[in-house]
Amino acid sequence: MLKINNLHATVDDGQKQILNGLSLEVPAGEVHAIMGPNGAGKSTLAYVLTGRDGYDVTEGEVTLDGEDLLDMEPEERAAKGVFLSFQYPLEIPGVPTMTFLRTAVNAQRKARGEEPMGAPEFLKTARALAKELKIKPEMLKRPLNVGFSGGEKKRMEIFQMMMLAPRFIVMDETDSGLDVDALRIVADGVNKLRGAGRGMLIITHYQRLLDYIVPDRVHVLSQGKIAASGDADFAKTLESEGYDAYAA
Amino acid sequence: MPHNTTAEQRLGSPLPSKRDEVWKWTDLRRAVTDKAGGLTSAARPKFDLPHGVKIREGEGPEKQSKKYGHGTMAALAKSFGGKSWEIYVPSGLRPAAPLVISDIARGHCRIMIMVDKGAHIHLFEHYGGEQGGFTNSDIQIHLAEGAKLTRTIIQDDPADHCRIANAHIAIEEGAKLTQHCLAFGGGLVRMETNLTSEGEGVTADMGAAYLLSGERHCDMTSVIRLAHPNCTIDQAVKGVVDDKTRGVFQGKFLVERAAQHTDAQMRHDALMLSDRAQVRAKPELEIYADDVACEHGNTLGQLDETSLFYMRQRGIPIAQARAMLTEAFVSSVFDSVEDDDLRESLLVKVREWLEAR
Ligand SMILES: Nc1ncnc2c1ncn2[C@@H]1O[C@H](COP(=O)(O)OP(=O)(O)O)[C@@H](O)[C@H]1O
Ligand SMILES: [Mg+2]
Repeated sequence: MLKINNLHATVDDGQKQILNGLSLEVPAGEVHAIMGPNGAGKSTLAYVLTGRDGYDVTEGEVTLDGEDLLDMEPEERAAKGVFLSFQYPLEIPGVPTMTFLRTAVNAQRKARGEEPMGAPEFLKTARALAKELKIKPEMLKRPLNVGFSGGEKKRMEIFQMMMLAPRFIVMDETDSGLDVDALRIVADGVNKLRGAGRGMLIITHYQRLLDYIVPDRVHVLSQGKIAASGDADFAKTLESEGYDAYAA
Repeated sequence: MPHNTTAEQRLGSPLPSKRDEVWKWTDLRRAVTDKAGGLTSAARPKFDLPHGVKIREGEGPEKQSKKYGHGTMAALAKSFGGKSWEIYVPSGLRPAAPLVISDIARGHCRIMIMVDKGAHIHLFEHYGGEQGGFTNSDIQIHLAEGAKLTRTIIQDDPADHCRIANAHIAIEEGAKLTQHCLAFGGGLVRMETNLTSEGEGVTADMGAAYLLSGERHCDMTSVIRLAHPNCTIDQAVKGVVDDKTRGVFQGKFLVERAAQHTDAQMRHDALMLSDRAQVRAKPELEIYADDVACEHGNTLGQLDETSLFYMRQRGIPIAQARAMLTEAFVSSVFDSVEDDDLRESLLVKVREWLEAR
């Protein structure tokens, strides 16, 4: 269970308050969606949860299964199973995708005191998964995300996510840049990871993705807090009525 | 100006210092004292020669003034280096094994290498000096028509070693140079390449990387003079400076009137891993021909914070993420190394450096 309590966060060296007493609980096994207008602080929430420099927590707590996340370095949170699918995935020139991912998988295993995944097992798993996500094998040899289209980068995030099998997933606008076919592929992948004690927070701007990944709960983020919550149908209401009702 | 070393007294002129334009960022005079081992003696290089390559002791100092480079360092090599070495690669010879020069650990030396028509040779220079030592090497290379030289240099000296390694390379028509240098600096290190066309259609592909830690200094200086048409030069230097180190890049392309259709690219990119480190760069184009494509680029940057966060979010610890990004930055200059094993051995040295930090 992810528990966020009264979270306050600033950016820009404390000059800009973005999160302002946000509280939210995502029980293990559930999928929650966060919607809200541009600039509401959705990505800020994702970065605060994953420990990015420059996003400072001034008040409140975040725990995952009772463990304090805010005290950990980003790589420690990753090893605990926190995964963020980036709104804008980074290009890493000079580092082949497979090398990058194998380093990540084994760094996490090492941090958890587990045996490293051997090259043959890694290759086999990666190839099977790439096929499932319709990622061409050549792409895995290329430097990570370099020269990939927006949609390819998003698919690559899901590929990494499935290889790492995280315990808690945050997806930040994973649907943007995806056509309907790619959206379906991505959603199939995500749905496979549902359950098994895994929590998910799906940040999106549009209701479209939620037709494929049906959430247990939907929340509106506005004014730095959760302004309203509802079930899956609430997303449709929000899409048709907009967020004006939740603005100041 | 007072002469602060025996070498200067014998030479009758001062060592190069910041008063000399081309030495302004590498003040040898300040770095070297009489205590430096080898300042007034001859080096004893070791040569491993492939079958068919010949060597002989060359002429004494009095007869060689014309062949060797000019300037103070050449004069020093002449005064203290004793007899020179002359290596001959006969026409058409293409040995698989490299010609290896090593053990220039202290002192001065002059080496001349003639690669005759159509010969292909791999020259491997390994520089590892003595602690507290000084070395000054002057290598003259002549590539005859259609010859091909693959030159690999590894400079791996103790932190206090002073080294000036100079090469003058003359290239005749259709000859080709592929050069890669990996340098780790020292008390004061300068790796210098002077290249001159002596015929048209010359090709040179030059990649270099310097990786500095502690308080090391490394200077990469090159002057490329083109006086013939249709020459192609591709030069890329990458620098990584950490701690309190100093990196220097001085690159010059001199394209004379006759050198039409020159295609020459020069790049220097440096990565600062510490804000106490320093990089000085002077890329220079001097062009007198009108139909040429010459470019230079120079950047100074840091590791990208967002990329680092992305890697850490995937579980890669920060030190490892930094090392991976740094290796990726450096390794591209070795992409053009044809021999896979050789490229890998250079990258292994890069990784060792990254791990030792
Ligand atoms: N690093 C930053 N520095 C300054 N302002 C920022 C930074 N990150 C986000 N912001 C600002 O915080 C607000 C929320 O941004 P963000 O979390 O990206 O919103 P959303 O993802 O909901 O569109 C915006 O006004 C944005 O300009
Ligand atoms: Mg956003």
